[in-house]
Amino acid sequence: MDKFKKSKQKSILSWTIAIILATIWFVISFLPFIFMIINSFKEKFEMLTKGVFQLPDKLQWSNYMEVLNGGFLNYFRNSVVVLAISLILLLFIAACASYPLARFQFKLRKSIYAMIVACMSIPVHITLIPVFKMSKSTGLYDSIWALIGPYIAFAVPISVFILTSFMKEIPREIEESAEIDGCGKIRMFFSIILYLSKPGLATLAIYNGVNMWNEFSFAYTLTQSSENRTLPLAIWEFQGQYSMNIPMIMAVLTLTLLPMIIMFIIFQDKLVKGMTAGAIKG
Amino acid sequence: MNQKTAKLLSISMAALIAATATGCGSGSSGGSDSGKAKISDARKDNNGKEISYWNISTESPDKDEIAQVVDEFNSTTKSGFSADVVPIQNDNYKEKLVVAMSSGECPDMYSNWSGGPLHEYVDSGFAQPVDDLFNKSEIKDKLMDAAVSQATYNDHIYAVPYKNVAISGIFYNKKMFKDYNLEEPETLSDLENICETLKKNDITPFALANSSKWTGSMYFMNLAVRYGGLEPFQKAISGEGKFTDESFIKAGDKIQEWVKSGYFPEGVNSLSEDDGQSKQLMYQEKAGMLLGGSWYTVTFAQDSKEFYQNIGWFPFPAIEDSDADPAIQIGTVGDQFLSFSCKDDKLAAAFECAEDHLSDEMIDKEIKSGKIPPVKGIDSKITDPITKKVAKTATDAPDIQLWYDQDLPPAVSTAHLDSLQEVFGLTKTPQEAQETMQKAMEDYLNDQK
Amino acid sequence: MNQKSSLIARRKQSTNKVAVLFLAPVTVLMIVYIFYPIIDTFITSAYRWNGISTEKVFIGFNNWKKLLSDQHFWIAFTNNLIIMVLSIIIQLPVGLSLATFLDFGGKKTTVFKVIWFIPLLMSSVAIGFLFTYALATNGGIVSTISNLLGRGNIDLLGNPKTALFTVILVICWQFIPFYMVYFMAAFTNIPVDVFEAARIDGATRGQYFWKIALPLLYPSIKSAAILSMVGSLKYFDLIYVMTNGGPGTSTELMATYMYKQSFKTFNMGYGSAVASGMFILITMVSLITMKLMNGRKEN
Repeated sequence: MDKFKKSKQKSILSWTIAIILATIWFVISFLPFIFMIINSFKEKFEMLTKGVFQLPDKLQWSNYMEVLNGGFLNYFRNSVVVLAISLILLLFIAACASYPLARFQFKLRKSIYAMIVACMSIPVHITLIPVFKMSKSTGLYDSIWALIGPYIAFAVPISVFILTSFMKEIPREIEESAEIDGCGKIRMFFSIILYLSKPGLATLAIYNGVNMWNEFSFAYTLTQSSENRTLPLAIWEFQGQYSMNIPMIMAVLTLTLLPMIIMFIIFQDKLVKGMTAGAIKG
Repeated sequence: MNQKTAKLLSISMAALIAATATGCGSGSSGGSDSGKAKISDARKDNNGKEISYWNISTESPDKDEIAQVVDEFNSTTKSGFSADVVPIQNDNYKEKLVVAMSSGECPDMYSNWSGGPLHEYVDSGFAQPVDDLFNKSEIKDKLMDAAVSQATYNDHIYAVPYKNVAISGIFYNKKMFKDYNLEEPETLSDLENICETLKKNDITPFALANSSKWTGSMYFMNLAVRYGGLEPFQKAISGEGKFTDESFIKAGDKIQEWVKSGYFPEGVNSLSEDDGQSKQLMYQEKAGMLLGGSWYTVTFAQDSKEFYQNIGWFPFPAIEDSDADPAIQIGTVGDQFLSFSCKDDKLAAAFECAEDHLSDEMIDKEIKSGKIPPVKGIDSKITDPITKKVAKTATDAPDIQLWYDQDLPPAVSTAHLDSLQEVFGLTKTPQEAQETMQKAMEDYLNDQK
Repeated sequence: MNQKSSLIARRKQSTNKVAVLFLAPVTVLMIVYIFYPIIDTFITSAYRWNGISTEKVFIGFNNWKKLLSDQHFWIAFTNNLIIMVLSIIIQLPVGLSLATFLDFGGKKTTVFKVIWFIPLLMSSVAIGFLFTYALATNGGIVSTISNLLGRGNIDLLGNPKTALFTVILVICWQFIPFYMVYFMAAFTNIPVDVFEAARIDGATRGQYFWKIALPLLYPSIKSAAILSMVGSLKYFDLIYVMTNGGPGTSTELMATYMYKQSFKTFNMGYGSAVASGMFILITMVSLITMKLMNGRKEN
């Protein structure tokens, strides 16, 4: 009886500590976001005199109005298109590549895998000029299509790395029993492996999605006219030669952030589903 | 729902959003597009008759002023060419130029800040000399001499300066000065007295945000030029002299003296100029003075007309027992210089477009928006008191030295800024800083051989 | 006998064909966007070139000699290593704890999950700006607290000794959510029955975690460590936005140094040498670590 009470007390104690710590981290994660929003409602001079942490005198919705009336919707559309296409292609290509690397045995496997890992080590900036030249010669320069290739290419190494480690965890028995049932490798891939890799794919979708959404270097180099720009370049509109209009920039950043938050809220339950239902039963 | 359905869903969502956005969003506008200007977005040069023109005027009023000039040129020129302006944000403009040049896609006409980078462009063949066109043109007599000399390299003219004369000077809070019975200083010791008074009253004398490093250089340049004149710098750059010259060391020493006396904000090396942390100190009245380029008149005026009424300005004071001419100023005479990579007919046409940037009309517009176009007699046309004073100081200056970090070869400029920041942080002595700078200069000169 | 071996051979052939088919898109992308630029970079490192002129002067290994003795570069490398070590020590455990909390807490903790994820969604520009103000020496959060404690203002970002660690904390803030999500996904690989069985055997949550879940998560932890390492060695964004390598060289990283050399000081040839050097160092470090980690495990 005593032992039971003690362990129950211990459990309540640990939960309490856990919740306290969780709340602390909650506040730390949330605060900067709140400040961003607060400042987006300030008027330019007000932000400079009162500083970043004070509440605004009144809510200046005008900042948001001006941002939306500018090229924002256009940038937004471009970002969405680039993201959707790049992400879907990336997930498919990475999954295809991870499958043989994780589940097959063949001669060059280790070396190809090592090469892909090596590719993770490329600093993006050194590829700017060669990629720029390529986009010019293929006529893709200054269009959003020029961005898709590099975005996918640079996300592939990490994606393959992450996905292979997930795919390796899938028990052999499933594959073997499917094989006995006469399932070819390709069908196995589409019907089984992909399905079981959902958590891995979800992780990739989230991580790469965010990176592509916020990507700046290639967007800056490969586009020129304002109708082809993506969101990260939108803050330019409010960075003049003489001074930055910080509240406007905060408004742009908030608007850029919101779609991502919404997407995450919608899709995050897929991760949960994977967790509570259990990926594999027996 | 399985993977395939999820994918289908995301594609349709994307398509839906795209369709909606396209439907209600405007097709090709970007940013505040006012005026009848046709800021057409760059397209492939169809028949070679288009002059691609890059500059950094992304914000109004500059953006509109440029647009109108280009529009005017396109409609009145008889050259058969038309200009197509692409405004690009300041921050990474230089890098974008590098990428364009290195892939053979240099714009026909582009603005730059002259100095070291312009020299590189010239040496690499991306800036054509325009001596002949210049001598035949009416802007020859219009432009200030100092402007032309900042556009000259190896005795040839490589750019057309047009926008703004910006010299460094000290902006100060008039009311604060009045409250503490302070007057504009004539000498350095006067200035230091002002600092002491402000400090005693818990006000930081100088508003400085030095994480960007070039803002601290303002102090260095002014002190050096007041201690030793322009010769030490000019000699050091050509290799005849050294950056370890006395005037530079004294400048560094004085800066460290001021740091130790608390004349700069705490954590000065962590404050960001671009994020507005220096002018914020002025607005919050936590600091009394700001040594910066005269473009600050536009900044202050744009941020708050009210605050601007309370601002005064004086040039950096003289140093007693120094031989140097205290009328020499540091700054840029032009601010934006237009260079050309095209040749022959196209060059002539582009030059014509550049000339239009100095038309009387354009000059008047620029004056209205607070700038000082680099033309002779400009101060008589200006009404705003501070701008007028700046213009007069600039016109009276026997010589105007371009900002070090602009004039020096970029590698030396970096060495200078990096080590100066350490001087401010008291982690390097002025002697060490200057030696680093000198070494970088020697490396550069050796590479040139 | 013959039939069986030829069946196996045919199986192998078809496996190989499928492998080739599946690996084709990746290979093409790698060659075009990665191999070609890398080779280009290595070649450029043998020249003295300002990045724009058509004149390139071949100088062989001079840039490399300069690189080996370039203090600035090795200081940057050391900074990268510091980031690497601290990132792994901080980000992985915290990320894992958050994921564990969410796993144990289930649906009730969704609100935590969403908010905890926000840092990863914010762009580095936003983060850099907000934290520059938050950590400001005069009026920032840290200084305000230390003032309340009577200690006066604290200069974090302007002090060469503390600047790097301060930015590292901000980097951790940004990336912990990634590891949280990563480990959440890793948890799904643990079959539910394992948890059930442990519970039936009377194990507490704590025992389950330390003795069962953690060992099962070991492979994911290793991969996460490698990801963190590579990311730290490549890192660019927040340093560029918040300190630009300063004060002095206290927060300079290999990537920021390379960027400055290539694009700002007209030293594209040397910048390429820095980039190539970076690439070699990072690849070596990751491959060695992977080999050490996978040493015992069968591939």
